[in-house]
Amino acid sequence: MNFTQTFSMAIKSVLSNKIRSLLTMLGIIIGVATVIILVASAQAEQKYTRLQLEAMGANRIQVGCDTNNRRLEDEIIEYCKNQVGKTLSAFGQYMYAWDLTLKYRSKEMSMDSGGSGYFVEGDYSAATGRYISIGRDLTDADNRNQSRVCVIGDAVRKYFFGAMSPLNQSIKINGQSFTVVGVYSPLYGGKLNTDDQIICIPVSLQQRVMNYYYYSSPNFAMTAIDRKSSDKFCEDIKARFEQRFNDSNGYFYAESIGQAQDQMEQEQNKESAKTAGIAAISLLVGGIGIMNIMLVTVTERTREIGIRMAIGARKRDIISQFLIESAVISCMGGLIGIFFGFIGSAIWGNMMFGSMVNSPWMPVVDTFLVTPSFGLVVGAFLFSALLGVLFGLYPANKAASMQPVDALRTQ
Amino acid sequence: MFWKRKPAAPPPAPAADNSLLVDVRRLSKIYNEGKENEVRALDDISLAVPWGEFLCILGQSGSGKSTLMNILGCLDIPTYGTYYLDGQAVSELPPSTLSAIRNREIGFIFQGFNLIPALTALENVELPLIYRGMPIGERRALAKDALEAVGLGKRMTHRPAEMSGGQQQRVAIARAVAAKPPIIMADEPTGNLDSGSGREIMEQLTALNRQGTSIILITHDNKLAEMARRIVTISDGHIISDRAGKGAVQ
Repeated sequence: MNFTQTFSMAIKSVLSNKIRSLLTMLGIIIGVATVIILVASAQAEQKYTRLQLEAMGANRIQVGCDTNNRRLEDEIIEYCKNQVGKTLSAFGQYMYAWDLTLKYRSKEMSMDSGGSGYFVEGDYSAATGRYISIGRDLTDADNRNQSRVCVIGDAVRKYFFGAMSPLNQSIKINGQSFTVVGVYSPLYGGKLNTDDQIICIPVSLQQRVMNYYYYSSPNFAMTAIDRKSSDKFCEDIKARFEQRFNDSNGYFYAESIGQAQDQMEQEQNKESAKTAGIAAISLLVGGIGIMNIMLVTVTERTREIGIRMAIGARKRDIISQFLIESAVISCMGGLIGIFFGFIGSAIWGNMMFGSMVNSPWMPVVDTFLVTPSFGLVVGAFLFSALLGVLFGLYPANKAASMQPVDALRTQ
Repeated sequence: MFWKRKPAAPPPAPAADNSLLVDVRRLSKIYNEGKENEVRALDDISLAVPWGEFLCILGQSGSGKSTLMNILGCLDIPTYGTYYLDGQAVSELPPSTLSAIRNREIGFIFQGFNLIPALTALENVELPLIYRGMPIGERRALAKDALEAVGLGKRMTHRPAEMSGGQQQRVAIARAVAAKPPIIMADEPTGNLDSGSGREIMEQLTALNRQGTSIILITHDNKLAEMARRIVTISDGHIISDRAGKGAVQ
């Protein structure tokens, strides 16, 4: 008996009892869809973080320190500046600006919801991987002269100026007038919900803008020449300063984005394997459901099995008939599950990334459609086929090992 | 000391004779042997049937005739005794060979028709040919011929539930004869039919026998049995008579 014959008979038998087949498939459908949605969104999340990190510059280094020892800080700054051109390609400093409100004519934007304002110094833009699309960057001269100038992100430009040129327009920052001299080009062309709602002001103007002034340790922004030198820089600077910070009751850390990324991806991989494993349990339950219904089918069709044996079906004909039937059920379930997995991961993914959009001024992430990868789809399908065969084995074997005369005698 | 002497070896079993279709020697089928509810369905039966015979096994219900047919048709195994089918000892054959024998050598017709309800008449007739591995064109042609021969050329796409009992039994006959097996075994083939349909079935069996097919018919109906060439009567698992029927006269 050939495969196509058995296959078409199996399809016929599955279709002849649609509701029951569908209910049997339900376990597999839900299992496959869950696995796909979970893994796809985990993969998407990973991709999203990777893109965000890459936006910060793959060779970025994060150095943080907190101490009251100003001399120690100055030493670090000096050290970093000396490294520019050696291991570093750019170095800058910045401080967070809290409670900024921007105003242009009648429009107002609060930077606290989703945006960020920075007082910057040095080569901040290059060190954070930002590029000027229109106008110019802030300079050391701006800082020295306390020029009332600012550079804005693309989301800010869009909101205030739309199609107008933003250059040399005057905006109010907490009531103080500033001239826009430059605009950062959007990260990823503005397709991701990243830090495009940003404004940078020379650090020397901090006191004029902030309602209150307090000193906080400066944050360092720096980018290494390449991945290797970023790791080297971290090692060097730790070796040189870490102990002294500990001694001064402060803390100090230096970490390259590459390292952080590797670590995070490892953790995310572990996490998504765990969730997929849990979801796979529901697949297992689906498989048991198939076995259950196949056992019922074998019992119901005992007489048919007897007839088939009487007219010459061999043991393996009977086995393959029921195996293929359970595989057809689980594969159909797998296909339907994949279909719902696609829909589900698009919806779920949009919800997940939608919730990351926490600013009314940021573009909604619409181009980041979460779809399961090809490998995931194929894997899910093959796994459901395997389940069908695996859980069909026992019922099929039970059917095939009946004595023809006993099977025929059943009513 | 005679009691210590080794008993004489039993005489060697006579060589199987393959001029005989069925050669049954001292066959017994015992259910629940040795227990209180022991049933001797067949008790020490010997029977030889030559090729081309139209044999009727006649007996009341419970006489063991169906058990005998199941064994003769390789659907069941005897408890004791040997059964040679065309010179081959059936009890020594592996299940796959038995399947092949059922598929190629024997066509079954059952009292309850035993068609598969989900398949059409044509598909039912094709099924044994599928198990034989026959390519689709050939088996479809054979199945159509067989259905036309039993007068159901216009009913090929009907399912068993859409046909009368007589028609279903004719489908079953078509299924049994489609591959032109040398042996037909029919277990009460007219049992569920009215007398008219029953006569038709019997005429078809007689015609097949004239063409050279060996037929073993199981029935409890004396009148029906008379149409066979040889009638073996079974009662309580024993053969009580073996005589010629009217079929022999024709």
